[in-house]
Amino acid sequence: MANAREVKRRIKSVENTRQITRTMELVATSKLKKATDRVHAAKPYGDALTEIVRSLYAPAFAEQFPLLRRPDGTKRAAVLLLTANRGLAGGFNANLIKEARRGLDELRGQGIDTELHIAGRKGIAYFRFRGEPISGQWTDIGDVPTSDDAERLVGGLRDRFAEGDLDAVYLVSSEFVSAMSTPPATTKVLPIEPDNAEQSAEGFILSPAPGFILERMLPSYVRNVVFTALVENAAAEQGQRRTAMKNATDNAGEVLEHLTRTYNRARQAQITQEIAEIVGGAAALE
Amino acid sequence: MAVLRVRVVAPDRVVYQGESSSVVAPAWDGKVGILPDHAPIIILLGVGELDVDLPGNGSHRFHIAGGVMKVLDNQVTVLTEYAGDQPLVPELIPAGARIHEEDLLEHTSPGNPFA
Repeated sequence: MANAREVKRRIKSVENTRQITRTMELVATSKLKKATDRVHAAKPYGDALTEIVRSLYAPAFAEQFPLLRRPDGTKRAAVLLLTANRGLAGGFNANLIKEARRGLDELRGQGIDTELHIAGRKGIAYFRFRGEPISGQWTDIGDVPTSDDAERLVGGLRDRFAEGDLDAVYLVSSEFVSAMSTPPATTKVLPIEPDNAEQSAEGFILSPAPGFILERMLPSYVRNVVFTALVENAAAEQGQRRTAMKNATDNAGEVLEHLTRTYNRARQAQITQEIAEIVGGAAALE
Repeated sequence: MAVLRVRVVAPDRVVYQGESSSVVAPAWDGKVGILPDHAPIIILLGVGELDVDLPGNGSHRFHIAGGVMKVLDNQVTVLTEYAGDQPLVPELIPAGARIHEEDLLEHTSPGNPFA
């Protein structure tokens, strides 16, 4: 039977752990709320920009603009992976890393020379440990990503695509469906493939010519794809962390219940034994 | 008289949403005024002040940088890289928002302002 004092000590320790995980859960909940608001706040710009780019797009522009070029076959590609700077978020980072590895394997399997760019300490640490060359890395993207952050991440890749140095750019990040559902996803950032517009620019006065507007809007469009992903990824991280910390708190509760029972049993056993000894001692005197 | 429904949208948030009697925006080649029942237009924006006059009295002024404005059925959507109360310091103006003289010469023709 376990020593009562030993069990008491473990109960204290688990109580402390539960206190910490509960606090982290509360912090993540409040951050999640703000991050979710940011996801919603960023949506109107993305939607409106996509609509305008789609309505201005015409296949003929492909030859005119480097950013719209359609490479014949892909020789060189880049994967941009967005992870978190911090752990303790359940499978958040691991899922993203798995998705990135799958993407890398697939591209390289097709004989495409693929380089890897990573934002977030967790992803960098993993791929550095595996000895994977990392072409670009950023660890200074916080809980509140800005449009400038997105520009820093994708600006260089975008220019290299326009120059013909890269033929495709993929983005691996978490889609924010809800706080509970944040599946990792791979998005093709470049080449840009606008879907057919529901509403074309016909009937609009265009100033200046559509090509020139498009030329100005395309870099913003590419940047905004990454910005949206950053914002969603930040929200997904908090969502996952909240879930993970809630589970940890619940588990600590279960462990405590079990330990408390063990403690009571040990204490009772001790008391029973002491009574038995006293009774035994008294009986011996008679 | 009809009113304009104006939305000023920056990448991270909707900066302003409301009704207006007229809008003056810094287009790529100079200021452009929009009154109710304007023809549908998509116009590239430069750097400068966006004035949104409210029905009745008063107006809002935003400093914006780059982007595009779309007007359709009295719905005015201003998409811009930056929108705030203060003008951006020149160093912070996104490269894509600047309009260069060559662009103006190349894309304007004297006869047709919308060419």
